[in-house]
Amino acid sequence: MGRFKNNKKSRVIVKPISKKNQEDVSHVTGDKIPKSFVFSRMKLPGSVKQLQMDLRKLMLPYTALSLKEKKRNTLRDFLNVSGPMGVTHFLMLSKTASALNLRVARTPQGPTLTFKIHQYSLASDIAQSQLRPRCPPDLFKTPPLIVLSGFGSQELHLKLATIMFQNIFPSIDINTVKLSTCQRLVLLHYNKDTKLIDFRHYSIRLQPVGVSRRIRKFVQNHQVPDLRNLQDVSDFVTKAGYGSESEGDEEAATVTLSSDLGRVNKGATKSAVKLQEIGPRMTMQLVKVEEGLCTGGIIFSEYGKC
Amino acid sequence: MTNTRGTDMAKKKDNLDCESDFKTHEHAEFFDKIIELIPARFYVPDETERKWFPGLSKAQKAKAKRKTNENLKKARRDRLDPDKSALTTLDLLKRKIEDEKRISLKQKLKKEKADLRRQRYEMKKAGIELPDDDSEEERDNNEQKDDKSVTYEELRLRLHRKIDELKGGRGGSDRPRSHEKRKKILPNKRKRDTVSEEKTVEDNKSADKGKGKLDVEEAAKDLTFGYVKIDDDEEHGKEKKKRRLSKAKELERAMKLEAAKKDPEKGDVIAKKHSWKAATSRAAGIKVHDDPKLLKQSIHKEKKRHEKNAEKWKERVEGQQKFKVEKQQKRSGNIADRIEQNKMRKIAKREKKLLRPGFEGRKEGFINEGGN
Repeated sequence: MGRFKNNKKSRVIVKPISKKNQEDVSHVTGDKIPKSFVFSRMKLPGSVKQLQMDLRKLMLPYTALSLKEKKRNTLRDFLNVSGPMGVTHFLMLSKTASALNLRVARTPQGPTLTFKIHQYSLASDIAQSQLRPRCPPDLFKTPPLIVLSGFGSQELHLKLATIMFQNIFPSIDINTVKLSTCQRLVLLHYNKDTKLIDFRHYSIRLQPVGVSRRIRKFVQNHQVPDLRNLQDVSDFVTKAGYGSESEGDEEAATVTLSSDLGRVNKGATKSAVKLQEIGPRMTMQLVKVEEGLCTGGIIFSEYGKC
Repeated sequence: MTNTRGTDMAKKKDNLDCESDFKTHEHAEFFDKIIELIPARFYVPDETERKWFPGLSKAQKAKAKRKTNENLKKARRDRLDPDKSALTTLDLLKRKIEDEKRISLKQKLKKEKADLRRQRYEMKKAGIELPDDDSEEERDNNEQKDDKSVTYEELRLRLHRKIDELKGGRGGSDRPRSHEKRKKILPNKRKRDTVSEEKTVEDNKSADKGKGKLDVEEAAKDLTFGYVKIDDDEEHGKEKKKRRLSKAKELERAMKLEAAKKDPEKGDVIAKKHSWKAATSRAAGIKVHDDPKLLKQSIHKEKKRHEKNAEKWKERVEGQQKFKVEKQQKRSGNIADRIEQNKMRKIAKREKKLLRPGFEGRKEGFINEGGN
């Protein structure tokens, strides 16, 4: 007899490839670690697909990086898979003729926030626009920190958005956190006048303050400096060089480290925090809040009751 | 006598000088002739920027090609034109040497002037009186070149001041960079950036450092960060873990809520408030049970599960009993068998004793019946 195809009507072919067993509950804080899926249920144009990839990289490590979705997968399939895997958030991109939407939803029956993306820049564009794009090897091994600015605590939909974003990334325990795990930062800024939210993604770099540039570079790069024109080594050490433009930064941007970080930044000395942009850049507007996961009553709508 | 000798020597020297001059002149002419043979572009290095043709786009390449063709034609015409001055290699070379000389002379002059002025400044500082002759010159020079630094320290101070000025105008707007390529950024964004660029240039000129600081302060008031766990504080909602209502009670609560929602007077308000509260707590990770249908379903499921478990338990207990009974029966059976066997064995043993050879059997009675 020939081989018959499996005639079952079930269509669960969602294949998230996760080779490592990730912990569900953080050993440190005891809270459940939020995990996410970034996907779209329709075919996206090229640059939007890249944006989706950038968002996936942003959510690393607690996301499915190589999630493959088929046309016949529905939201129900994703929901069924998310239960056993402990996935708590869905980020869904969808493109219509008029708008590009990003929906952020909490899984079991959580609220769905719909953002309309007015403008976006891809991570590769940003890297091309920089003189020295920076990507250390373990940049995406730890989750990013999040900073929300301008949201206020008055308006309900903004408060909801704040709480939503705060819960997408795991919390940190200040007693046991290591400074080397804080490598990235996501910044969301709400502009009251235009009602637009700016989304930025930075990599954090610490630089010691108060050390002359030559000595700092020498210690960081281990390259033997050129002493041809100098009479004495003391010339190299004490020669006052021109500072870079950003060296005279304000006091607000310097912190006192609690512990050593790398070879250069020592604990209990001042270091400057430098942010360099990586990752996608978006300008979005919150247009809709639904009670359920893409279903349920609309409790907030930007364009009036419809 | 010495005079005549002197003059003789002088004349001889003169002659020698003349000869050697003549010789050097001849040599120089020879070299010049050779230089003239070499085309100018090989001998005198051309310092104009060369376009990197492989890197240009198609349209740009076509344009560059047209330009080179035009240049070629023009050069050919000029070469053969007797009116236009034919610049030979030699002339170009001479011109180049003159330029260099002029520049080095200028630099030397500048340096001398700077040294002089520095000396004068130091002397002034030390309080030494200066002759007033050159003060006018100095003033003139000062007027002409205002931004010339006097000492190294002043240079540094000026640089830092400039940095601060620039910082004041820096308010998060993008500064123009020549190597920046804007591919995906839509035209709206570009317009916005150019507007902000103009503004920052103006701000730089007016040097308001205070504006930048104000923005920072304002922004700092309204910042929210991700969750940070500190020992004493507990997140909201996690405290209530102990008081977990049973599902039946939750169902009651949910039904009450639904009834309240349907209330004509305050139903809307209650509904809205509840939906926002529920959305916020769900976003924070707390489970909210407010749908009576789902609650009923889950109660039903739980009941079914409970029943199934009870069934299983009963079966298990029954099975155990049966098993026990069986085992007991088997055991008593085995024991009885053993007793039987023991008895049999004893009888067999007794019988064996009477199986001696020549024995005719057990006495069964007297031959004559009756006896005594």
